[in-house]
Amino acid sequence: MSKPAAVRSAFLLKSMNRRLKSHAAIIAIAMSGLTIADAVKAEDASAGKPKWGGIIRYGHFQEPPCLYGGWVQQWYLQRQFSDNLVARAEDGRILPWLATAWSVSDDRKTYIFQIKPDVKFTDGTPLDAQAVVDNINGWLSDNPELENPTAGPYLKGVFESAAAAGPLTLKITLKTPFEPLLNVFAQSSQGILSPTGLKRGKAVNCESPVGSGPFIVEKWNRGKNVIFRRNPNYNSAPATAKHQGPAYVEGIEWRFLADPTIRYGSLLSRESDVVYHIPAVNWQDANSRFKIVRHLTGGTPLRLALFSERPPFDDVRVRQAFAYASDRRAAVQAAFLGSLPYEGNFALSQSSPEYVGELSKSYSYDVEKANKLLDEAGWTVRDANGIRSKNGKALIIRITYTNAFSPPDGDQVLQIIQQQAKAAGFDVRLQPTNQADFWAGKNLGPNDYEIVPLYWVAPGAEIYRISYKPDLNGVRNPFNPSRYQDLPLWDIIQKAEQTADKEQRTAVYQQAERRIVENAPSLSYTVLDVTLALADNVKDIWLDSGSVGEPVFSDAYFTDKK
Amino acid sequence: MNAAKMIGHQSLWLARRLLSGVIVVWAAATFTFFVQFLMPGERAQIIFNANSGNVGEIPRDQLLAINAKYGFDQPVIVQYGRYIRDVMHGDLGQSYVQYQPVTDLIGRQIGPTIALAFAAVLTAWIITITTTVLFAGRDNIWSKALGGLQVFLATLPPYWLATILLVVFAIQLRLFPVVGGNTLMGLVLPTIALALEIYGFLGQAVLSEFTRVLDQPFITSSRMRGTGDLGIRLRHALRHAALPGITLSGWIIGKLLSGAVLIEAVFGRQGLGGVLVAATSTRDVPVVSGVILVSAALFVATSLFVDLTVQLIDPRMKEA
Repeated sequence: MSKPAAVRSAFLLKSMNRRLKSHAAIIAIAMSGLTIADAVKAEDASAGKPKWGGIIRYGHFQEPPCLYGGWVQQWYLQRQFSDNLVARAEDGRILPWLATAWSVSDDRKTYIFQIKPDVKFTDGTPLDAQAVVDNINGWLSDNPELENPTAGPYLKGVFESAAAAGPLTLKITLKTPFEPLLNVFAQSSQGILSPTGLKRGKAVNCESPVGSGPFIVEKWNRGKNVIFRRNPNYNSAPATAKHQGPAYVEGIEWRFLADPTIRYGSLLSRESDVVYHIPAVNWQDANSRFKIVRHLTGGTPLRLALFSERPPFDDVRVRQAFAYASDRRAAVQAAFLGSLPYEGNFALSQSSPEYVGELSKSYSYDVEKANKLLDEAGWTVRDANGIRSKNGKALIIRITYTNAFSPPDGDQVLQIIQQQAKAAGFDVRLQPTNQADFWAGKNLGPNDYEIVPLYWVAPGAEIYRISYKPDLNGVRNPFNPSRYQDLPLWDIIQKAEQTADKEQRTAVYQQAERRIVENAPSLSYTVLDVTLALADNVKDIWLDSGSVGEPVFSDAYFTDKK
Repeated sequence: MNAAKMIGHQSLWLARRLLSGVIVVWAAATFTFFVQFLMPGERAQIIFNANSGNVGEIPRDQLLAINAKYGFDQPVIVQYGRYIRDVMHGDLGQSYVQYQPVTDLIGRQIGPTIALAFAAVLTAWIITITTTVLFAGRDNIWSKALGGLQVFLATLPPYWLATILLVVFAIQLRLFPVVGGNTLMGLVLPTIALALEIYGFLGQAVLSEFTRVLDQPFITSSRMRGTGDLGIRLRHALRHAALPGITLSGWIIGKLLSGAVLIEAVFGRQGLGGVLVAATSTRDVPVVSGVILVSAALFVATSLFVDLTVQLIDPRMKEA
């Protein structure tokens, strides 16, 4: 750093310290985080010392177009080669990672992070405050080479600036308080990448991204695998990790095995050590043979977004009637054969800390109630097939869906709901749309559908900002496909985001949760899961449940070292 | 015909074939270019959504920026002219989604597909020759069963056969790897799955010609000269009966490429099939066009090779 810059930074630090001293509590979490890690380590030591060596052969499902980005499939990969500013434990506590400590100003708009010293990206670039600033500024820019499709929707409305207040001191300023900030930073899509690497352009970075994480991307053989090798200098594991220092295994062969028969078969034949997502038909068998680790992701459940901007779903009674007319619990059991749980809380998935369990019992299958609500809503005329109509218009519900945004076997749920809803007089029509057409917007125009199934994973209720933000000042929220415009709900969401006290914040988020379920802009049926089946000689692979369940291999080892 | 006239005739024939080959490749390029305009939705919207991994309404200015970047805001005829010019320079463009030049993407994946296709054709020919020589034209149950078996194999969906082979021989019996990759053992089951269907068609063509040839007078005279049955079948009948099969090889190339898409998916193999499926599902037009162009070029080259081979086997064809 040049002298004037250093002086400026020292001055900034000084003035910030003055401001913070009088109000803010300095959160010294670093020590408590290490205590947890040490405790886990001690437990491991008693269970047997991890062995070094071997390459984990991991059979994964989908191959993304780039090794990092906004799609959750990219997060899984990014978790292996990059570190985040902070980690989030399963119970929601924020723990140190690249930031060893941080403080928040009294007005909750200024965050000061202390960056861990002596951390380097695997290309040799120092990981300092400026590197983090460069990343954040890129995420929130309009530059398609750098923008981050996850961080953007969360932060663009609340973010003011990021600055290096010292070589290892990061200052983030917000326009308004935004308490989920650290949750957002803890998700793998916000992993910090080498600024030197990023300068190479997206084409190169997609192939060989550079982070400071436990593994280095050695080679991506498209259509086949990604070869990760151990970062021998790894010194920045999160406080949630089971050990500090380099990974025990030499590397990972991350294979893309899209076909479920091959994926599960490769575990049976011991050609894979770990596989992702067990097919429903093999669920019982897998549980009897292998160790299963699973995380049901937080955020919104897998849900049917009901287009509420025009009839028939502009009437809340029709939305509620559709909820009563579909026995989603039975549909989930029939389609997924017990491999996925039923989720009846329309607003939030069960692993989210703000989850209200009783809401999952709402709208139990009740055709009588559905009929009553539809009668009240004026859909009183029935044709020979029992389909209702109002003012000469039939009660037609078109569901546009694609396999890309639904778990395997998810189509069956829709087919079952189609049959169930007929009893109440709904004429449900399925519009299967291939992935490319779906991305092109086919069957997704404002007059083309009444329902679209989708999900958006997140640690918890902060997802409401993305899924339920109404159109404001002429700016449409592109991620609100139910087009649900509820200004009082938006006020509650913002109030929650600005409430510093965790318990109070949870209570406010739960108000939003109840309001969403009551007004039924979407109906849920199950949740997205991350499930791994492990061979018996592999230990300590875990899922980052504090984020969205990204598989973590840096603590894993073979009991019979290869 | 004297030698000079013969060479001139051959050169003209070759030039004509090369020209028609260029026209086929050009037609394929033109077709794939224009067909994208018949598909629903805006290209910029697909590119944005495929890259972000989300589906949402996209701000107009971002769509305009993508349109400008890829030249979609230019008149169609300008886009077409630029595309053809680039193709002529060996530049198949840049993938909309994978951030890579199409030639690189195809170049890295074409090897396993060619290996699979070559192995499948070779296997199909070996089975064809073996079964034809052993059983064709004999008055026994094996001879009768052979025709039925070939029809059965020709109608068998290759992806079904591939799944059965995988479950039985790799997962249950563990005789072959489930994740074969590019190893020799990993090539066996995909090759069989692809070869058996080709054999269904190829075997029928060769069998029927072989049976016909066995009744020809020159075969009878060979027998009368004391040539043994195996000698007649191998030296005389097979040479003639192979011609329809070789002619069929052009069609087989098309069949192999389409079959490889399915087989590669079932066995999780690398190859052009995976590239095509991924590109189609994200409507990555430059990659789809590139694969079609390469397939067309392969088709043209194989047809030319087949015709030259036929002329070599049957010199009468040079006069045609």
